[in-house]
Amino acid sequence: MTALLRVRGLAKRFGSVRALDGVDLDVEAGKLTGLIGPNGAGKSTAFSCIAGAERPSAGSVLFRDAEIGGMAYHRVARLGIGRTYQIVQTFADMTVLEAVTTGALLRHPQVADATARAEEILGFVGLAEKRHRLGRALTIADKKRLEVARALATEPALLLLDEVMAGLTPAECRDAVGLLRRILARGITVLMVEHVMEVLMPIADHVVVIAAGKTIFSGTAAEAVRDPQVIEAYLGSPIAEAAS
Amino acid sequence: MEALTTFAQLLASGLLTGLVFALVAVGLTLVYGVMDVVNFAHGEFLMLAMYAALGLALVGIGPLLGLPLVAIALFLFGIVVYRLFVRRLLAGPPEATVFGTFGLLVLLQGIAQAVFSSDFLSAPRPPFQGTIRFAGLAVSQATVVEGIGALLLTAGLYAFVEYTETGRAMRAVAEDRIAATLMGIDVQRINGLAFGMGAACVGAAGALLMLSYPVYPTAGASFALTAFVVVALGGFGSIQGALVGALLVGMLEVFGGYYLSPELKMVPVFLAYLVVVLLRPQGLLGRR
Amino acid sequence: MRPHLLALGAIVVVGLLAVAGVHDAVLLDLLFTLLLYAVLGQSWNWISGYAGNISFGHAIFFGCGAYAAALCVTHGLSPWLAFGLGALVAAALALVTGFPTLALRGHYFSIATIAVAALIDAFVRVSPWLGKANGFELPIAPGWANLQFAQKGPYVVLALALFALVQLATIGLERSRLGYYLRALRANHAAAASVGIDERRWKLIAFAWSAVMASAAGVLYAQYNLFVDPPSTIALAISIDIALIGVVGGIGTLWGPAVGALVYVVLAKGVALKFGGAGKGYDLVIYGAIICLIAALRPRGIVGTVVDAIRRRRGATA
Repeated sequence: MTALLRVRGLAKRFGSVRALDGVDLDVEAGKLTGLIGPNGAGKSTAFSCIAGAERPSAGSVLFRDAEIGGMAYHRVARLGIGRTYQIVQTFADMTVLEAVTTGALLRHPQVADATARAEEILGFVGLAEKRHRLGRALTIADKKRLEVARALATEPALLLLDEVMAGLTPAECRDAVGLLRRILARGITVLMVEHVMEVLMPIADHVVVIAAGKTIFSGTAAEAVRDPQVIEAYLGSPIAEAAS
Repeated sequence: MEALTTFAQLLASGLLTGLVFALVAVGLTLVYGVMDVVNFAHGEFLMLAMYAALGLALVGIGPLLGLPLVAIALFLFGIVVYRLFVRRLLAGPPEATVFGTFGLLVLLQGIAQAVFSSDFLSAPRPPFQGTIRFAGLAVSQATVVEGIGALLLTAGLYAFVEYTETGRAMRAVAEDRIAATLMGIDVQRINGLAFGMGAACVGAAGALLMLSYPVYPTAGASFALTAFVVVALGGFGSIQGALVGALLVGMLEVFGGYYLSPELKMVPVFLAYLVVVLLRPQGLLGRR
Repeated sequence: MRPHLLALGAIVVVGLLAVAGVHDAVLLDLLFTLLLYAVLGQSWNWISGYAGNISFGHAIFFGCGAYAAALCVTHGLSPWLAFGLGALVAAALALVTGFPTLALRGHYFSIATIAVAALIDAFVRVSPWLGKANGFELPIAPGWANLQFAQKGPYVVLALALFALVQLATIGLERSRLGYYLRALRANHAAAASVGIDERRWKLIAFAWSAVMASAAGVLYAQYNLFVDPPSTIALAISIDIALIGVVGGIGTLWGPAVGALVYVVLAKGVALKFGGAGKGYDLVIYGAIICLIAALRPRGIVGTVVDAIRRRRGATA
């Protein structure tokens, strides 16, 4: 069984601060892998290093067995990795349709083709009626959906989601989980960063836990909540409540 | 032997020229460091300061006595410009600060041209006009005074930013505007102060430059252009970087002027800019 | 897209009627200047408006065309060649300036444009083969082959054609991959990279086309004016005029440059009447004040403000 994404010994220093100090993780093709950890564990930094937004200080990031660590950001996207941002990054004065079309232009250079593709994706994520709204005028939930749509438009093999559930109401979370299932059903692999483990429990095939910049656990969600190291790392935070 | 003397003479001139550039560049880098704005009208602030110093010289107040007066005047001018204008630019799209401060450049040059005409004006009977001879080298007293002024100004500014409470607040704003606000720092006040101090720096520079340069409406523009290159070379926002970059640019310009031709002395300077920006965009001493 | 094409068609028809009906040299001169400046403004708009990288040295690309024409004509070559020659040199200059700077924060590029413009100005003034500071007087030989005419009419027709071509290209830009990518980069370069957009590559393409357009305007200008020297083509003052036109009309809008050119021509004429031409600083005071006011109060310019208002009204009714 080969991993679509294989991260080994990933490290990142900012000046004298070691944000990451040995992250290992495997993402199997076609599965949903969850990356969790307490606040300040380095989830977002790890995420940025994998997506190409940051250059790792050491370690390797293999995508389809090719090294992508330190590769230019836009080239990582071209290889087939799409991402969303924790703090939503819209194209301020573009409409929803235009923003998703921009993503689709990566594989469909003609605007007409890309627009058709974007229309289809907007239907898929449930934003079709809002396609002529400006991105900045959407609700948080819809902005997050727009980010997912824009990333899907680049036709990624691996989709990286950075806290897409944060700030959503329970009803919106259920919608988001439904969307995730449909994305997986399309054969797209997902790596998802979440702060709250509850969200991941029912959907993640595999969970990787990092704390203080290191991988401390890798296994199923059910095993994770019983792991003493994980419980210790999360002491007093939501996972402890979820586990009890 | 003669070639060696020439080289040493060029080296000395290059260092002193570089210090003059540093004088103009430190204010620019301070403003950029705190609020991420490249003030394209920085040279026009310098030009105003030179006219102010000239005015004081005409009523008998010499450049060294006039320096603090010009610096204070420019400080107030900078704060007014920030309050009335720059803070509005910061609220707009990122391009607005670029073309907005460029508009200010055009406006100030126009006002100077309308009020003072395009004539070259020099201070009457400036002090320090002699030449210092040392080990076969000759340097003008005025440039030595300007060089000392540049070193004092850079050191003073560095000490201010590193060791005072206000300086710490400026660094906090530079680091993270939102976090600084949460810490209870009044970002608008710090921005205005930084902009005023940037202007005060060219105020001091303008008073010193009247020792050896004439003033005319576009007098600041060529200094500012060099200052942009200096700041980019040293690293935008870095005060020590501005000094290092200025010395480097001074050398490049003096050697370029001697070995190429005086008209093309800027060629090596701009080539250095393009090369540094390509290979090390954060500048020689800048942080990423 | 349809209304834009109709508007452009109407402008071309009115322009041709004006050429046929008006014989007043002053008016035709004004019309030619207006069209030429609209082309220069649009050229600036490609890199500074759509891509969001403010150029302060745009006159050098105009100068590439003007000097290419002057060199061709004085060396006995056809000035039509100058369109190609000027375009090549302009695009090469754009690539050299843009390659190191266009993938960085905006001010790196803006500084580079000032620096390269100052360099080119200095270079021209010491190069005998470029006429040094004296420039070139172009020998007169009217005819389509020489791109010179005894009357102003044909020049206006040519400027009109160039304007139409540039507007068509910009309509195409707005509906093309390049146009989408530039808007995305300007709005959020990190998010743009995350969907695979190579900032340097696409901005270089935009900058090269921008330079080519300005160069074409330069060729026409040289053949019309029959005199080319640094102050009339590559000086900072010309770059200021071009930036003013772009900013006033509204950066990143299709019709902004044309509106800006109209404002500029009226303004320049007014300043000349009231204060007796440039050189006294009054023109700079007015232009500078206008750029400042637009930057502080209406950074999207005249057309951008109108477009926003229409959008808001539509959004309110929808």
